[in-house]
Amino acid sequence: MSKKDIESALARGVEILNEFLPVKTYLFFPILYSACVWAVRRVFDYRERIFSWQVWLDPEEVRTKPDEFILHFFRSHEALGRAYADEVSARDMKALRAAFPALYPVCGLEDAFLKALFKKELAASDYRKIAAEFESRATKAREDIRSAEESTHFWAALENLGAELAALGIHLLKDEEVQNAVIRAVKKKAAKSAKSR
Amino acid sequence: MMTNVRTRRPGFLAVSALALVLCAACATHLRNAKTAYTEAQEFSRLYQTEPAVAAYKRALAEAGMEARRNPSGQAYMLKGMAEASLGLWRDAEASFIKASGLGFETGEAWASDASLLGLAISFEELGLKEPALRAYENLLSKSAFKPVRLAAAQRYADLTLARALQLSERERSRALADAVRTIEKLEAGDFACGFYHYFHSQVESHRADYRRSYEEAVMARELGLPSEKALRDNDNQVIFCYDKLTGSLPPAESEAFVAAHAAWLKKWGWKDARTPGWKQDHPRK
Repeated sequence: MSKKDIESALARGVEILNEFLPVKTYLFFPILYSACVWAVRRVFDYRERIFSWQVWLDPEEVRTKPDEFILHFFRSHEALGRAYADEVSARDMKALRAAFPALYPVCGLEDAFLKALFKKELAASDYRKIAAEFESRATKAREDIRSAEESTHFWAALENLGAELAALGIHLLKDEEVQNAVIRAVKKKAAKSAKSR
Repeated sequence: MMTNVRTRRPGFLAVSALALVLCAACATHLRNAKTAYTEAQEFSRLYQTEPAVAAYKRALAEAGMEARRNPSGQAYMLKGMAEASLGLWRDAEASFIKASGLGFETGEAWASDASLLGLAISFEELGLKEPALRAYENLLSKSAFKPVRLAAAQRYADLTLARALQLSERERSRALADAVRTIEKLEAGDFACGFYHYFHSQVESHRADYRRSYEEAVMARELGLPSEKALRDNDNQVIFCYDKLTGSLPPAESEAFVAAHAAWLKKWGWKDARTPGWKQDHPRK
């Protein structure tokens, strides 16, 4: 496996996204990272997967949890437990219940796309920001991505990219390394665009 | 005359060819719709939600083209079934009514179920929880159409649990006992449906019966769940119950429970007692 080859494949991925979602640069990282996650699992039906996102935020699981489950969720995750330590120790269920619907899909169900969408906040352990902005940002991402759905070239290009990443041995990289490689590719493109302006 | 025939022949051939192509296209749309729907059901059976949803969408598109070009009970029935599977209840109702008018006898009953479910969802969205709950209960007891029953069961469970949280302890315990009875009836009708056991596990968790909740969650995992999200949520439920039980059982019982749990982990390929394969390691307190 050559990290260089993986980085140049990711750079091509950024170019593809730039072509189809030119003004939606905030989606580059979540889409590319999700593609990498699927490449690791060797699932290349991206179109099928992203197609199913139209019902993505519809309930698929029972959302109403008992207090004990919610407390367990906040306590089980160290950084999250620290961020909400006061509410957890005071058993402030009103506050915890208000944050739970946003934080559970990201930190509890570990949705790859959502994790990438809130990467910055997760890295900064800013869980309160995720809770405050989840609804509006997740809905906007879903709507924006629909604009690329019509093009079959977009899916074919993503499928090829995933197959290439899998062949290059992306599964041998740690998740953090994959994330950093994607971030580097996205940043490189942003710097290039800023220079040419 | 000969000249006429000769000059007309290419046009005649073109029209015939076009008619043949259109006929073939019609047959292809119906066939494609059936193939896509069968594929979708197969994916659903294997609990692969994303490809199932995509295949239902293909089935819907093909059945829609067939219904426009060559309206028939079969085309509208397929269209309605694909719509119902995608949760497009109002569209499904309209398709089943058309199917019924074109000779598909069960269409009327399915249209009525889809309509009632659509209405209940609207009630719920408008905050009219009680009539919504009654409609879901009604569908659970009488609908013979599985997509309607599953959707109603999920919404019934969520709504019942949300309502129970607002009640006094005594009333809550009664409401949760009723919910368990309803879900047990569903299980009796289709015991191999993992989704029902998942609902059961969720309700038992609200009743703080963690042993039963754990057992139902294990059963749900073994029988399969219709989406990755539900599977992950169910895994989190298994972990939650595991922590609750190991913290409360007497030592000997706890030891036996941990050993049994270890056997499941091995089967499921979990990293440890609290880490399913899909979960990234988080430092715990």
